[in-house]
Amino acid sequence: MSDLLKDKSQRREKRAGKAPSEGSHGVRGKDTTGRTKDSISTVSCLDELGHQDDNARMAVTMENTYQLGPYKRFPVPAVTDILKDVLTSYLQEEKYEVEWSQKMTKTISEVIRARVKDLMIPRYKIVVLVHIGELAGQSMQISSRCLWDASNDTFVSYNFKNSSLFGVANVYAVYFE
Amino acid sequence: MRGMDEYHNGNEGSFSSEEADSVVKECIESVVGGDDYSQSQVNKWTASIVERCLTQLIKQGKPYKYIVTCAVMQKTGAGLHTANSCYWDTAVDGSCTVRWENRTMYCVVSVFAVAIA
Repeated sequence: MSDLLKDKSQRREKRAGKAPSEGSHGVRGKDTTGRTKDSISTVSCLDELGHQDDNARMAVTMENTYQLGPYKRFPVPAVTDILKDVLTSYLQEEKYEVEWSQKMTKTISEVIRARVKDLMIPRYKIVVLVHIGELAGQSMQISSRCLWDASNDTFVSYNFKNSSLFGVANVYAVYFE
Repeated sequence: MRGMDEYHNGNEGSFSSEEADSVVKECIESVVGGDDYSQSQVNKWTASIVERCLTQLIKQGKPYKYIVTCAVMQKTGAGLHTANSCYWDTAVDGSCTVRWENRTMYCVVSVFAVAIA
């Protein structure tokens, strides 16, 4: 029953200060006819690496900067271009395959995060979410809601489609006061 | 005084994945628990799942900004992969992803919590 959903471990590296964090979840395409089952909920297990420097980390007290808002706003058009660029270059002529897609989703999310970081927008935390799926005539809906400060925080989304697969990338930028 | 100290300490921990997990599962079950995939309703479902999760999370009263994402997909044998990559403070920020399925559809809900100050 559980071969439909492959459990992925979510790995987190803890380093002092800001650090990247990645996770991925996949659903294998398998035939489900003849199965009668009710709802099942599963959760991936969480592996946390680098626990040893936890004790060494002291509580950081920040001094007041008296800064009311971001000096440099999050550049939505630049990030849209990044998303378009990354998705097209990685997915353009590819065909959907299970193992390849798994790796590609992780790779693409890391690449997008690295490129957005390169824009060097201070005080913004970044969350990148990538979905890659096979086009098999199924219907699908992806939606998100955010509770944040609408004047400073924003998101960027881009979808890509070719004959056998689709890719959706979302980048959320949250201002850290 | 002791009570106030405990309250304060409880709030300054990192994001509690397990708690968010159970909240989210409950929200999904309550919205699409016994239903089959329906194109006309899926829009409504994703919106309610996400809004419900968000309101439940806010009720915890923690100083976090939340991003909740929900993907609902019809079961036709097609595959779907999701990955996320985040640049934040791992001491206080966190995320939680719940995968749920029934006979006719998959539902993947991700919650990201970003600490304020």
